[in-house]
Amino acid sequence: MVIVLSMNVQPARRRIKNFKEVSLGLPKKAVIEEARRCLQGADPLCLKGCPLGIDIPAFIRFLRDGHVSAALSKIKEANCFPSICGRICPAPCEGPGQFDQEDVRRVELPPRRWCKGIRVLERYAADFGNPRFAVKERKPSVARAGKRVAIVGSGAAGLTAAAQLAEKGYRVAVFESMDRPGGALRYGIPAFRLPRKILDDAVRGLKTSGVEFKTNCYVGRTILLEDLSRQGFEAILLATGGGIPKLSDIPGADLGGVYYAEEFLMRVNLARESALLRKELNFPLGAKVAVIGSGNVALDCARLAVRLGPAPGGASRKVTVLSPRSWDDKRAFQQECAYGQEEGVSWESPVKPLELIADVHHFVSGVRCVRLDYADVETQGRWELMPVPDSEFVFEADTVIMAVGHGPNVLMNRDCPGLRLNADGGLWAGEENSMTSLEGVFACGNVIKGGSVVEAMASGQKAAEDIDRYLKGR
Amino acid sequence: MFKILNRQILFNNWTRLDVRAPEIASRVKAGQFVRVSPEEGGEHIPLTVVDADALKGTISIIVHHIGVTTRQLGGMAIHASLYSVLGPLGMPASIEKKGTVVCLATGIGIAQILPVVRALKKAGNKVVGIIGAKTKRELLVESQMRLACNKIFIALDERSQGHQGLAVDIFKRVMKDENVQRVYTIAPVDVMEEVCSLTRARGIETKVTLNTVMVDGTGMCGSCRLKVGGRTVFTCVEGPEFDSHSVDFRDLRMRMNAPRTTS
Repeated sequence: MVIVLSMNVQPARRRIKNFKEVSLGLPKKAVIEEARRCLQGADPLCLKGCPLGIDIPAFIRFLRDGHVSAALSKIKEANCFPSICGRICPAPCEGPGQFDQEDVRRVELPPRRWCKGIRVLERYAADFGNPRFAVKERKPSVARAGKRVAIVGSGAAGLTAAAQLAEKGYRVAVFESMDRPGGALRYGIPAFRLPRKILDDAVRGLKTSGVEFKTNCYVGRTILLEDLSRQGFEAILLATGGGIPKLSDIPGADLGGVYYAEEFLMRVNLARESALLRKELNFPLGAKVAVIGSGNVALDCARLAVRLGPAPGGASRKVTVLSPRSWDDKRAFQQECAYGQEEGVSWESPVKPLELIADVHHFVSGVRCVRLDYADVETQGRWELMPVPDSEFVFEADTVIMAVGHGPNVLMNRDCPGLRLNADGGLWAGEENSMTSLEGVFACGNVIKGGSVVEAMASGQKAAEDIDRYLKGR
Repeated sequence: MFKILNRQILFNNWTRLDVRAPEIASRVKAGQFVRVSPEEGGEHIPLTVVDADALKGTISIIVHHIGVTTRQLGGMAIHASLYSVLGPLGMPASIEKKGTVVCLATGIGIAQILPVVRALKKAGNKVVGIIGAKTKRELLVESQMRLACNKIFIALDERSQGHQGLAVDIFKRVMKDENVQRVYTIAPVDVMEEVCSLTRARGIETKVTLNTVMVDGTGMCGSCRLKVGGRTVFTCVEGPEFDSHSVDFRDLRMRMNAPRTTS
């Protein structure tokens, strides 16, 4: 059974007209109640689930006793950005609810009751804990002082590594190609899930601890890796993340009116909220929008399309997610799906899009789909989603957004020859030291291998440790 | 910040801006572009670097005021600062010594082709320029083009001084008169397609520079995708210059019109 906690939320009617945060967090009473549900067992499952290694039972214990700042302090020992994680983390610590199903089955953990409120508890601690009591004491080491580290990319992995390295006493500079730091956190996630203030606060905190941000700087073009070494950076960390859309092989994907989720999200997230509310966004979105995908990105696109107001001509906009996964097996967060439904997003699943149909102007006019259902084809007990015979139908749509996944951003490889790639297209980095094929150049996050926000943060944390070890040995 | 050091109104709604960006100026090559945003939260638009001075640390861009952002850019005063300039983006134009090279450009394309013409001439080519516009005043950088080309032809819509016929007709004449080795063109899709069909018949290598819709300009969004040689490429990463004989012009036409048709 999935336990959905009763969060304070913006009413659906109001929130579809703004871009402010939907979920406003748990009330204090519910937090204490939820914290009391924690079994505080000897071998907690949540500890095994958290890639960052947060001492979850310990911080919940503080919350239970009403020591919110102490709880925040405990979280900050392992996680530099609890307010970000508390909002968008897929919460593998909460059990096989979302992404971690296969992993949990593989390690064969005993079936036990999983806590379902760790993320919201973390968020509560981050929102209401007093940072003065929460910030860890900074202990700059004399040996490390003066050593400079360059971080390329300011997404989840880059920011985490910057925070960790600054804490260790290094002089850190973060290079970002966009105009503001944040990477996928800013340009890939809508503000109603991760408010920009949270991100700006995190960046401000880093600036206070001495991290320098250089925006509008594309490493590989504006400045080269060699230039960074020449400027005195003793280690360079590549955290350029993921984001390049995987091109769909569905026939008709090149028609007009078909957009990739990355383009849609970037256009909307780049624009000012005031411009969006005034409908000044020069983004053609029709009255019938179909989003192909089953993950959080698909849902984000659908919910943003609802918020972008009526279609040209004043017709109300109908947004539908065409999901190739069943409702129970979808990748999007349970609670976000519920919010989406309240906001008017319909969910057509499980269906497989076969073709995008063109009109006379070579624009999309519909999606030919086939319905799927579970079937035991080889009668061996392996139930899989298979097309239902004679169930093809045409879903009318004048705009299609494809949220079919993205690959790592290895564009730098073009401009910085010598970087080795993995078979799957990501950057190669040694598992034991995070170092790429170039001496002193490290890599972390989704540029190596795709993963969730918390996995990118864990990768950034590990890379920071590896860089520290490398620089200490020099 | 990226300070505007000079501003020149070229015509009614065309402005040239010289912007201080030393890192870009020292690296930019002919054919590359920058992504510009006039103010925080504004749209980011790609603009070709028309000229660069590494010593002064400035780049020059030409803006045609047709939308909200371009109007805002064109209206910015000297000593004001642009919020964001990122570059140099895209691949440099392929500059080799080929012999006789024809560079055909119309409208804003004249400004875009100027650095390519200069680089081609520097590489030892004989450059024949064909530039076209509606009126003589709209020939943007005519004097610079006259200096950069070995021979220049002008095509104007109006019957006025210097009128020598349509750009494509002039191109046909040049093809007859000269032993053309390579053709560069930056023009509307119809003109580029016509030029391409003429050169394909003669087996002349032809390069086109494409101005597709871009959002981030670094290959992260896919809005500038285009079919070239049967595969989808990102103009901002692999372009903006392509071999015109591989470009799918039907797809290009559709993509160029895509944002306008449904809005």
